[in-house]
Order: sequence, then structure tokens, then C-alpha cells
Amino acid sequence: MRLKTPEIYSVELSGTEDVGKTDTGDGKEKYRGLKDKRLELKKNHQKEELKKEVDLEDHKLSIKELERKYGTNIVTGLSSTQAAELLARNGPNALTPPKETPEIVKFPQADGAILCWIAYGIQYFNDKSSSLDSVYLGCVLALVVILTGIFAYYQEAKSTNIMASFSKMIPQQALVIRDSEKKTVPAEQLVVGDIVEIKGGDKIPADIRLLSTQGCKVDNSSLTGNLTPSLRTHDNPLEAENPWNKMSTSPVGTATGMVINTGDRTIIGQIASLASGVGHEKTPIAIEIEHFVHIVAGVAVSIGILFFIIAVSMKYYVLDSIIFLIGIIVANVPEGLLATVTVTLSLTAKRMAKKNCLVKNLEAVETLGSTSIICSDKTGTLTQNRMTVAHLWFDNQIFVADTSEDHSNQVFDQSSGTWASLSKIITLCNRAEFRPGQESVPIMKKVVVGDASETALLKFSEVILGDVMEIRKRNRKVAEIPFNSTNKFQLSIHETDDPSDKRFLMVMKGAPERVLEKCSTIMVNGQEQPLDDSTAEAFHTAYMELGGLGERVLGFCHLYLPADKFPETYSFDVDTVNFPTSNLCFVGLLSMIDPPRSTVPDAVTKCRSAGIKVIMVTGDHPITAKAIAKSVGIISANSETVEDIAKRLNIPVEQVSKRDAKAAVVTGMELKDMSPEQLDELLTDYSEIVFARTSPQQKLIIVEGCQRQDAVVAVTGDGVNDSPALKKADIGIAMGIAGSDAAKNAADMVLLDDNFASIVTGVEEGRLIFDNLKKTIAYTLTKNIAELCPFLIYIIAGLPLPIGTITILFIDLGTDIIPSIALAYEKAESDIMNRKPRHKKKDRLVNAPLAIYSYLHIGLMQALGAFVVYFTVYAQEGFRPSALINLRVEWEKDSVNDLEDSYGQEWTQYQRKYLEWTGYTAFFVGIMIQQIADLIIRKTRRNSIFQQGLFRNKVIWVGIASQIIIALILSYGLGSVSALNFTMLRPQYWFVAVPHAILIWVYDEVRKLFIRLYPGSWWDKNMYY
Amino acid sequence: MRRQLRSRRAPAFPYGYRYRLDDQDEVNQNYLADEEEEAEEEARVMVVHDLEEEEEEEEKEEEEEEEEEGQGQPTSNALWQKLQIVNEHLWDPEKRMSLARTGQSWSLILVIYFFFYASLAAVITLCMYTLFLTISPYMPTFTERVKPPGVMIRPFAHSLNFNFNVSEPDTWQHYVISLNGFLQGYNDSLQEEMNVDCPPGQYFIQDGNEDEDKKACQFKRSFLKNCSGLEDPTFGYSTGQPCILLKMNRIVGFRPELGDPVKVSCKVQRGDENDIRSINYYPESASFDLRYYPYYGKLTHVNYTSPLVAMHFTDVVKNQAVPVQCQLKGKGIINDVINDRFVGHSQMDT
Repeated sequence: MRLKTPEIYSVELSGTEDVGKTDTGDGKEKYRGLKDKRLELKKNHQKEELKKEVDLEDHKLSIKELERKYGTNIVTGLSSTQAAELLARNGPNALTPPKETPEIVKFPQADGAILCWIAYGIQYFNDKSSSLDSVYLGCVLALVVILTGIFAYYQEAKSTNIMASFSKMIPQQALVIRDSEKKTVPAEQLVVGDIVEIKGGDKIPADIRLLSTQGCKVDNSSLTGNLTPSLRTHDNPLEAENPWNKMSTSPVGTATGMVINTGDRTIIGQIASLASGVGHEKTPIAIEIEHFVHIVAGVAVSIGILFFIIAVSMKYYVLDSIIFLIGIIVANVPEGLLATVTVTLSLTAKRMAKKNCLVKNLEAVETLGSTSIICSDKTGTLTQNRMTVAHLWFDNQIFVADTSEDHSNQVFDQSSGTWASLSKIITLCNRAEFRPGQESVPIMKKVVVGDASETALLKFSEVILGDVMEIRKRNRKVAEIPFNSTNKFQLSIHETDDPSDKRFLMVMKGAPERVLEKCSTIMVNGQEQPLDDSTAEAFHTAYMELGGLGERVLGFCHLYLPADKFPETYSFDVDTVNFPTSNLCFVGLLSMIDPPRSTVPDAVTKCRSAGIKVIMVTGDHPITAKAIAKSVGIISANSETVEDIAKRLNIPVEQVSKRDAKAAVVTGMELKDMSPEQLDELLTDYSEIVFARTSPQQKLIIVEGCQRQDAVVAVTGDGVNDSPALKKADIGIAMGIAGSDAAKNAADMVLLDDNFASIVTGVEEGRLIFDNLKKTIAYTLTKNIAELCPFLIYIIAGLPLPIGTITILFIDLGTDIIPSIALAYEKAESDIMNRKPRHKKKDRLVNAPLAIYSYLHIGLMQALGAFVVYFTVYAQEGFRPSALINLRVEWEKDSVNDLEDSYGQEWTQYQRKYLEWTGYTAFFVGIMIQQIADLIIRKTRRNSIFQQGLFRNKVIWVGIASQIIIALILSYGLGSVSALNFTMLRPQYWFVAVPHAILIWVYDEVRKLFIRLYPGSWWDKNMYY
Repeated sequence: MRRQLRSRRAPAFPYGYRYRLDDQDEVNQNYLADEEEEAEEEARVMVVHDLEEEEEEEEKEEEEEEEEEGQGQPTSNALWQKLQIVNEHLWDPEKRMSLARTGQSWSLILVIYFFFYASLAAVITLCMYTLFLTISPYMPTFTERVKPPGVMIRPFAHSLNFNFNVSEPDTWQHYVISLNGFLQGYNDSLQEEMNVDCPPGQYFIQDGNEDEDKKACQFKRSFLKNCSGLEDPTFGYSTGQPCILLKMNRIVGFRPELGDPVKVSCKVQRGDENDIRSINYYPESASFDLRYYPYYGKLTHVNYTSPLVAMHFTDVVKNQAVPVQCQLKGKGIINDVINDRFVGHSQMDT
């Protein structure tokens, strides 16, 4: 009863996205749905909590109160059992990694499978002996879904593993007092109430309340974004000097503290979970794919319904018509595309990984290409994240120091005697030291024990003078007053290395104005001169200038203590200060900055020319921020802020017309008072914007503001404070070396070399992949029509079915896969970095011209070509086209074994079936041959193939070869396997479609020619996809 | 004026449904606020109504409907907004555009597509024309798919099972009618009038041009003796001795190899050999005589009648299914193709 068993094609209706989630992780998704709600609540809660700026009171309690509160003892620590109990109750001291189901490119292919089974059910209900074709098909579709799901999961897992390897590389240890013993335990096992000891260079394992300290400072840069341990008030635990926060590093000294918060309850954990509470936006490519699915579904459903009506009015049984409807919908689905897109994306991801962009989320590969705004963090991203000596001022002159990554060529004048003295002060008045055992490491990469400025000075002097440690040894230190915030200077007294000179040398550095106060003379060209008004004036000018560059300025002075008053045996007492600290000799100024990375200015320029707006968002001081912005080109050389104009014209800021200013520097305080509308205005009005002194929440607000402009926002950052913004952004980019784990977790992409320039590569690859995906989809969609038409003709004209389901699957998942992947290797047609980023809502992946051109032009041509092959086969075997019309019913009757053809020959059912399979094979070969032409024309969208180079992309030819070889194997190798419905085709039939393939190529060349000849014309608008 | 209102609102809503997807809670929270805003806007719209001209009555209705919807649920309201946008896309009266194209653009498209498809049709016609040029109308290019010849039985009534009750003519009457109808073309008078009596035992080869009409050999109904329906108009069905005719499928140019005629032999496929006891074949040789071959095709061999072999099951076991398999035997006949029970053999239950 063939009547009741029309071939059912593959289904894959694109339903709503909810249905689409039936993918691989059904359970997970559901779980996630539940979790979202919870997160939502949590998010609101947390946001408020953080806005209250954390209710930590512990730093205000006394030690006794603390001991009571946490049931511990600062001497003996917790007992092991207590600790184990607390560990069990509160969980390990580790941040919960954000649980995320990878958003793989979703195709509701599962629906296809289900539809197939439904179709089978209907058929079975109708006729118990109906063929199992649709069941097979359903199984194949389900298998495809599962396989691609596994593949995507594998890809994600691989990236995640790389990430995991980052954090696991150095298992963090903590020295803890438990049971009155010092023990080293993994930091994960710390519990509240533990007493921990911190040494210089350690990462602080949890939030601790400081109990005692010895010259210990803490670097909270990953938390606040600031490099230097800033002076803080006690009001805000984020900024307070005590307690210290997890993840901060303490570069110098030792300290003991009590753990007051662990794991997710630490301040860092709270920021991290604020980050995970921020909903991940759908990636642009996911939106595009969804849009594409809508188009395909629209086409499928409308054709399906149209033909349902036609079938019903042609007096088919309603049940048959329903099966036709399902069949048409199924036929429209590009089964192979999911796999192709995934593979294409992961190929690009791999390529990017080679260029040091590790993509965590596959879809993010494209996102970077659509990026229109990059919000970049300053410290560590644009800058090197280390203080470096930038300028020197001595002999009434400002010298520029080399701030490049290796400090190699210091060009300033080193002959002056002043420099000799200055260099000595720099070397001696410094407590920073290289950590031992780093002889082979280049100077700039050596690890230093000391704070940022001292490190800078140490490295600076090491580069210029050579072995600093040796110099210090020769000039033995006899006394020292360390830097503190009240003195604002640091002082040390040394023996000199000149054996004949028995004097002591006192060296001092500190805040320039404080240092100058203590001086009465100034050294010029190696000679001491009295400090008069003019030299003081010169000093102030230099100080202001360097300060204006956003640099941290230090003053240096020295004094040779007279040998008569201070003999060799003199004992200096730093507490009573039994030596002079005034009337010193001022030697010079030295300014330091965290310099921009050398590759950044170029990268910023490239982003500009690619139409990407680069915005700096930093927690740093506005002046520093602006200076860096200027030096990297975020604020271009000739643009001014409102304040600049006011200063230049010498008028109040209010009088400046805002139109004149291209750049703007906005501080967090100003941002706080802005309404969203004002922020929008700000973002649209100025092309060059710097946000300074911003909090994590404000970063989030800025990102949201950018997203309101329909921009695709990339955020780069390294600190924990950046992680909410990284998460909120369309694509978060974290730094691989300097970045904190929280940032890396929140990001979609990790720059392994911390190089901002890698972003440019990412943008380029992202844009290329978008273009190439367009080509791939166009290629894939085309043959859908050639697969659909036979079915429609079968319904309307009653021809024996020209191509079967399984054969279609062999095209979609067999011959077409490698060629469509090969398109991912296509080079760009023009300089993609010179065009504007695509508009999220206007430049779609699959636009109307693409769909129309693929479906109604090339697709139809292909269908016709394949039909010619089909008709040729039937006609040569005895069935002329006229005899085929309305033959369907008789043809498919199992019991008719003497069906007459055009020559009066009689065919049995099996002979007909075999001929039908030959027809399938012929149609298949017809499509395959024309798909080769389709593949070639899809190489370009505008340029001629010959401009692009026919042989430049070798993979295309691999694809073509694979296509032909697979077809040959199917026909000649597997032609005898009846289940596959292939037969051995006469060799001449392989060439019937060749003229049509050539026609397709010629037609497309003509199309491209007109597009190039008449840009902007009607043709261009309607035919360029 | 109203349009301004609407367009002002439009950008805020087209993607409004996304809110629901993203952030249900937020929507719920904003729900009250939304309604207020809505109400405010409705009020303004109401005022404007009086100033409106009649031509926009349709829209007014929409607007009013929207009001009702709006007071109902926010979801259906959003849906309505969406529908309205779709509607505007379909036909935008302001710019006189349908689907974002003006009439001019549409006609241009139609013209271009007309020419495009016309030339495609021309290409196809050309292809098919070339195809027909290469194909002879008399002789199929290839016959390998239709060989070896299949067989078919008569009477044929949708099923290969013969199941009837002698005492109830209704159960076998349709077989008789079918056979009678089928044998009309074999009536002796007709055959003698139309066809020639050619010598048996050798091929009836007619040389000459392809397009010459060919003569056909007689196959008279009377060859079938007891199964011809001439003596027993019920073909034995009324006595429980059914006649079944076997016909070999026509194939252009087919000649049984080496001059041996194709023979028919039937036996019980499974079960007791004795269930059928005896079969009478007519013509008695139980073979298709060589003179009926070769066949020259429908166009020139107009009066060709396929030779038949009748099998008369004279003493078949009753009230029991007897699977019978009839095979063609001869050189060049493959009768064991597994997939196709109609190539070379036929089976039936009585």
C-alpha cells in the first residue's frame, strides 16, 4: 500500500527557543531555568548588598570580641575537629565556579526527530505494514542532535580544561595555626576562625582580620583596580586597611590574621557571585542563528501549509496531506548545518587560540567581530601593570626614560654628576630586593619583594647600573627610617664605597614637596648650589608637569654627614633621630607611571579604523587615566575635553560648547549623579570617553548604557572588580596572565598573552567568520530547494519520487559537510578591518537577499538541473516524462507487477523500485555536481571568483574532492546495499548536470559583475547578501 | 498626530517581548508602572480621536481593540503590538509600501523574475528537447532494469490470495469477470482478424525500418482449452477447480536465449507436495512459444498480445492455504531474485 507511505523527509522545524533547549542537556536546562529565578532574587539581593558596600563589622571589633565570635584562640588556633566541622558546614574556601550550560548553537533538531516519529505513528495507525523510513530518519536526526551536542560539549570542555589548568597550576597553600601547631594546609581547607600567617609575596587566602603585622603592606589591585596599596579609611571594608581581602597579595613583610570569611562569602566571592548573577546576554551569533531558524521555519511552514491546501483540494486523503505537510517541513531543514556551524566556530577558535586568544564560549568567536564598543580596563590591559620610571628631572631638565617592556635603551644623558648622585640615592634608598634564584631571568621579569614604586626603582637602577645588590653591599646600610604615611619620606644612612671617604651618606626619597622642605641646596651639574627662588620655581614647574602627566613623582635628596661629627663608630638611632634631617641637598625628581603596553596604541588605531569605539573604564585617578588614554590613542592627539578647551580659552567650563569637545573624562562621582538618559547622551555625543574612579557597579552601568545604544560591547579586564562587567558584556575578555580567576571565569575569552593587540586579531577573525558563515549558510540553503522541489512535484504532478529521504540525508550529512566547512577557510574579500562593525539589528546573518537568492535563484536552477538528470534516466529506461505524470499511484502499488512504460514494456514492482532508486541516485548526483558549482560561487559575495583566486583556498578543493569521492563510493561501492537506496549509475549520467553547474557559475558571475559595476543600485540592494 | 504617538511608542515595544524571556520578575515588577503609562497614553489617544479624520477609522478600531486588550493582559497586548507591526510591514499606507517595497519596486521585481524564470524555462525546454533527440521512440535506450522479465497472474484482484467458497458465487464471481474481461482481446475472431498465424517454435523476426508497423502473432483464447472460459464460463471456479493465467511481462527486444521456449512449472512452495495433486497446463507445453518474441514496442507492434499459460488446479486441497509457486524456466531467466517475487515466479494460495 504505497499510497499511504509517502517518503517522509527529514524534519527539523525550528520551533521556539524553548523547545530548542531539548538539545543535549535537557535536565541541565531545566535545572538552569529554576536556577535563573533563584539567581534573579539572589542578584537583586546581592546588588543591594554590594551597594550597601558590605556589612562587614569585624574590622571594628576588638580581638577578644572576635575570639568569642568565632570560637577561636589567637594563640592556639582552632582544633582540628572544630576546623573539620566548620569545613563541613561552610564548605571549602573556594569560589564556586559559575555553573553554566554552554550555550551551543541550537537547532531544534530534536523536534525533527519527534515529528518523524509522529509521522510514523500516523502511518502506522493507518497501515500496519508502512515502511520504517521515517523512524530511521527520526533516529538519524536524534543521533545528529546528540553527536553535535557531544561535539560542542567537547569543545567547551576543552577550553574549560585549559581554564582549570590555569587556576590549578599552583595549588595555594596557607600556613595556619591549629591545635597550637603551625601547619601548612591547602587554602581550600581554611575555615572561619583559623589563624593564618602571611609572608611577603603570599596571596591572602581568605578575608582575614589582621592581628599583628610587621611592615606588611597589601596590594589590592585585583579588587580595586588600583596598583598601589592606597591609603584607606576604615569605613569601607573594600578599602579599609584591615581586614585584608582574599586574593590580594601582600608583597612585603609578615602578618598574622584571623579568617573571618571564606569561599563565596569573602568580598571577592561576593563580587564574583554578583558577576554570576548578571544574566549572560545571548550572543549575537545565537540571535542570528535563531533568526535564521525563524526564516527557515517560516519558509517550511508556509510552503507546507500551501501544499497541504493544494493536496487537500487535489482530493488527497487528509491524512496523506498531513504527512505531506510534515514531509515538506522536514525537507526544509538543513540537518548538517548545526554540525557545520559548530565545526566552523571551533576551527576559528582554534586559530585564535594559536594567536593567544582562548575562546571559552564558542559563540563568542563571532561576537568579537560584531563588537562596536570596547570598554577596556586600564591597569594590566592597556598598561603593563607595573610601575616604571617614566621621567627624570635633574639639572633643571626633564629626561624621558624608556618605558617599553624591556627598558632596553635608556637614552638620557648619564654623564652629569647629578645623575651619579641621583642614581646612588635610587639604588640605596630602596628596600626592595630581587627574590633569590632568578639569575637567568631577564631583569624586567624578575620577581621582586617590595612595593610597586620601589620595584620600579630597583629594576630601573638594575638596568642602568648593573648589579644593585652588589652596590648596596659595598655601601653598607647603617640605619633606616622606612616610609610611612605621616612622614611621607624614606631615609637611610650608608657607608660609602669610597675607602678614602669616611663620611656617611644619608639618602632620602619621598613626596617631592616634603623632600624639598628639608633641602637648602640643590645639585646642578654635579655642583651643589643654594636653593633659591628661581630653582624652586623650576622644581615646581617640573613637578606640576610630571604630575599632570598622571605620573607619581618622587623627590630625592642626600647629605654627606661630616666625618668629624659622625665618626665611623657613630651609632645612629632612628627613634630619637640623632642625625640631621634638614638642610639636605636636593638632587632630582623621578616620576613613575604604569606605562602603556607598546602594542596598545597600534591596536587602538586599528580598532578605530575598524569603526570600533574604545572606551577606557578604570578605577584609577582621572589624570592618570587621561594621560594613559592620550598615550595609547584612546583620546587622540588633537581632540580635547571640555576642560581642555576651557583651559585653553581661559573661560569657565560651563561656557564651553559641548559640541567642540570630542573627548570626555568622566569620574565615578559624576557618573553617580547621571540619569541613564544623560549617560546615553554622553555615550553618543563623545567619541572618545574615559571613565575614571569607577566602581564595579558603575562598570556594569556603563556596559548597560553602551548596550542600550544597540552596540555589541566587549569588556576587557583582569581584576575581580571587572568580573560583573565582563559577564554583562556581550563578550568579556580577561587577561590570561594578570587576570584573576574570577575575571577569567566571567569572561568569554581569555587573552593568553595579556596583549590588547590580540583583540584586533579576534575582531578580524570574528568578522571573517561572520562572512564565511553567511557563505556556508547560503551554500547549505541552496540545495534545500533542490531537495524540496522533488517532493512538491511528487505531490502535484504525481511523478515517481525523484529523491528519497535517506538520499537527502546523504547529501546533507555526507557530501555537503566538508565543503561547507571548507568555506570557513575562505580569505576575506576585502579589508574587513576597514569597515564598520555590523549593526546588530540591520546586518543580519541571513538576510532577505541571501534567502531569496539561495532559494529562488540558485536553488531553483539546481532543482531544474537535477530534474533533467532524473528525466534522462527515466526516459532512457523507458519512461518518458509524459508517461511519468500522475503515475505515482500505480507506480507505488505493491501488487501491480506489469506496469506499462512508454514502450509497452511491463515492469514489476521491484524493477520499478530499483529504477526509482536509480532515479534517487541520479538526482543525488545532479545536486552534488551543481553543489560543486554552488561551492565555488559562494567563495565570494562581491568579487569575481577569479579576483579571489580559484585555487587560493586549497580546502575548498579538498571539499570538492570529498564530495565526488563520497558520491562515487555511495553509488559504486554501496550501490548494492539496498537499504541505502543507491544504485550503480551509468557513468554518462554524472555529466548531465555539468552544463547546469556551469550555468550557475556564469549566472553568479554576472550577478557579482553588476554588483561591482553599480554599487548602491537596485541590483546591489536586492542581490547582494 | 496620532501616528507620531504611535511611532514614538513603537521603538519602545518591538522588542518588548524579549523582556518576558529575559526577566520575568522584572516585568512583573514593572507591570503596574506599565499599566499606568499605558493608561496615560490611552487617555491622550482618546483626546486625539475627535480630531481624527474618518479615513483612519480602521486604525481607530484597532486602537480601541488595543485598549480592551490592554486592560486585559499585558501579554496579549504585546502580541497585539507585534501583530500591528507585522500589519504595518505588510501594508504601510503612509509610504504606500507593502513588505517594505513600493509598487514600483514590486513591479520591477516581478518583471525581473518573469524574465529570469522565462529564461530558466527556456533552458529546461532546450534540455528536454536535446534529451528527446537522443532517445528513440521505438526502442528504449537501456533495458537492463526491466530484465529479467517479470510474471503476472490473472485474475488479479489486489491480492495474490485466492480464497473463495464454491457454493457462494459472490466470493468468486469477480475472478470470472476479471478473466473474461482480460481474455476479450484474445477472442479467436479478433485474433484471426488482426494478427497473423506465424510458424511455431521460432522467433518471429521482422526486419525492416524501426518505424515500420510490425505484425503480431495470434494467441487465441481457444489455446487455453478448459481455461478459456469458452466451455466453462466460470473458469472452473464453480467446481472448485480454479484456472489461473500466467503472463510474462513484455520487454522490447527480449528473446528467450538459445531458442528454448520459457516453461512454467508450479509446485507447492511450503508444505505437502500433494496438496495440489495435479495441475493441467494450457497450452499443454506449459511454455511461451518462441514465435511471440521478440516484441517491438508499443508504437509499431500495436496488436501484440502477450502469450499466456493457464494453470488448471483440478484437485486442490480445500479449506487449507496452499502456497503455490510458479516459476519460469528457461535460459536467461533468473527466478531466484530474492527481493522480487514477481520476477520469474508467482505464488498463490487457494
